[in-house]
Amino acid sequence: MTDPLSPTDELDSLCLDRRSFLRTGLGGALFLGTVSLTAGLSGCATAPAGRLGAVDTRMDARYQFQFLSADDIELLEALLPAILGSALPEQANARRIAIAGTVERIDMGIHKFGPANQKELRQLFDLLNFGLTRVTIARVWPAWRDATAEQADAFLQRWRSSSIGLFNNGYIALTKISNVAFYGHQENWQLSGYPGPPDWAVQALPQFRSA
Amino acid sequence: MSFNDRIAQGLESGWKVIDGATLTENHTAEADVVIVGTGAGGGTTAEILAKSGLSVILVEEGRLYYQKDFKMDELTSYANLYQEGMSRTTKDGAIAILQGRCVGGSTTVNWTSSFRTPDETLNYWSKRFGLDGVSPEAMAPWFDGRETRHSMAPWDTAPNLNNDILRQGCEKLGFSWQIIPRNVKGCWNLGYCGVGCPTNAKQGALMTTIPGALDNNASMYHGLRAERFVMNQDRIDSLEATAMASDGITPTSVTVTLKARHFVVAASAIGSPGLLLRSKLPDPYERVGKRSFIHPVNASVAQMPKLVDPFYGAPQSVYSDEFNFSSGVDGDAGYKLEVPPLHPAMSAGVVPGHGDEQAKNLAGLPWMQSVIALVRDGFHEDSPGGTVSLRDDGSPMLDYPVSDYLWKGLRRAFYTMAEIQFAAGADKVRLMHLDSDWYSTWADAKAAIDGFAMEPHRVRLFTAHQMGGCAMGSNPEESVVNGFGEHHHVSNLSVHDASIFPTSIGANPQLSVYALAARNSSRLAQRLKA
Repeated sequence: MTDPLSPTDELDSLCLDRRSFLRTGLGGALFLGTVSLTAGLSGCATAPAGRLGAVDTRMDARYQFQFLSADDIELLEALLPAILGSALPEQANARRIAIAGTVERIDMGIHKFGPANQKELRQLFDLLNFGLTRVTIARVWPAWRDATAEQADAFLQRWRSSSIGLFNNGYIALTKISNVAFYGHQENWQLSGYPGPPDWAVQALPQFRSA
Repeated sequence: MSFNDRIAQGLESGWKVIDGATLTENHTAEADVVIVGTGAGGGTTAEILAKSGLSVILVEEGRLYYQKDFKMDELTSYANLYQEGMSRTTKDGAIAILQGRCVGGSTTVNWTSSFRTPDETLNYWSKRFGLDGVSPEAMAPWFDGRETRHSMAPWDTAPNLNNDILRQGCEKLGFSWQIIPRNVKGCWNLGYCGVGCPTNAKQGALMTTIPGALDNNASMYHGLRAERFVMNQDRIDSLEATAMASDGITPTSVTVTLKARHFVVAASAIGSPGLLLRSKLPDPYERVGKRSFIHPVNASVAQMPKLVDPFYGAPQSVYSDEFNFSSGVDGDAGYKLEVPPLHPAMSAGVVPGHGDEQAKNLAGLPWMQSVIALVRDGFHEDSPGGTVSLRDDGSPMLDYPVSDYLWKGLRRAFYTMAEIQFAAGADKVRLMHLDSDWYSTWADAKAAIDGFAMEPHRVRLFTAHQMGGCAMGSNPEESVVNGFGEHHHVSNLSVHDASIFPTSIGANPQLSVYALAARNSSRLAQRLKA
């Protein structure tokens, strides 16, 4: 939408992003460079998961992912039990459905964030998904699919209490998109004691009547 | 189900409304005036110019949503009606930016608070920026006119408990408080102003000036993004715009070229500087995008002994200006105290936390009360504001470093908010800071606030008021437009939105935008008809 970027600039902005999520301090840019370069070698972008088989993913097979990659989904499946805590149902099947639905709504929300914030989140997710940075920056040793809720919680606590603003920002980003997608969903309104729009108003308003 | 609201009827009657997503071929259109943006400024401008007999084209990047779409649901509304799907932040991510992106702009999603620009602010502008024409006396008729046009009046129904707790706390402590004027007609007192008024009671641009303009033969494109102006010598020749797909996010390959005698930019304090920068318009003193203000907001939540149900009832009805100008217009940072509505997603986004603790926080929502402080920025040399610049893809972003001067104001606001909540009988209070616990006494809260690190990210900050970036002023070396919104260097360009404010307002800005846009549009109409 602006002046055409030169090929070099474009490569720079896509693959070795100068506005990297961890631009300052602690050599973060070095790590991020590694992540992005790796992503670059495999096509410069982490592909959205698209439509995943229900068997593989425990998801609604009809849902078409627009932003989250298969790795992102594993990451969120590991983080959501720690983020949502006792708000998630205990019963195994209900719990799986609640997590899967939240992941889908996170994807829908991020689609509407638009390109600029998608790029920021892509960097954050790549950083957390890439083994070297997961271990060195997030300090989570196992792959996310093998991480326990305690390990996920410890990671969140570290980023929350860190004196490095960028980690605080990462903590807020992860918890905010998850909490909003979860508590904002009609089926979960009861968890915050919210009865929903007043029934008398719903009855009286034309937009709630079916055609 | 058939609808008989203002928009449905207008569309039925043949309004010239074009959805960018339906365009399949590039085309060119022409009018006397092209207006970019359909919010408080753009809507007002369009109605006044169209009624004067000028032909008008309105351009809106967001989409047209109206009653049929307003179903009191947070997630769909945040995704569709707000900038960047409600994920917009300042450059460093530290301040969440709540801003509308739809026909009607932020007036479609604001909480209806309708304040005149404070006299202190107008007098400061006159004195500091050579803006004699905006004195309180000169502006009074324009405020009167807009208050009538948008049905603004102090809320005459009892405040909901969320707001009444602010009143009670102020009463106990001897702080002044007032009832908020709201722009509503036949309001049902539901509490869903922020997700698109479901009853059409809110008299924002969507229910007033936009229909007024379209009734008077204006055309409106929605789902069309203004990319850049094309100059021909010292005048703008045309606006290049890109159609957006029906998701409102993805540009299509269709380009629309709009030609006009005059162009008005009213694309918000982030969007307008962005458009001027992308267009590389003359800016010899590099003023575009500078001195951007946001009324930085911090917040406190309380757990009350009684049910508050903070999701129901007119969201804002009580305010306190006790601390707004108490140190003078340009002394220590002043702040206005108000109350936000708390629905589940909003609360989950505002109250930081995770795990069982967060589940418990949210489970307490029906008893939760919140106070917010809106800090008046831009009136002191240590509050120079932020800067709007362009990302690599041409989209605008706001960098807003919070100065020590503002941090001091924000810390004082934390004290005030907690003190008010305890005075009103709160069982516990928690400040929106990553290091805050729930405190059971004012003394505990006070001691904790003493020790808070006032730093980006740790203090949770918000803004719903974006101002400045195309400042008006008599001196072209420190402003972009003159006191009538006319660009200093491009003869057929005006700016009619909150971006022309040379400082913040010290109050919710919609009426300030309406009034200045009305005044400047009336003058523009005369000029163009001459």
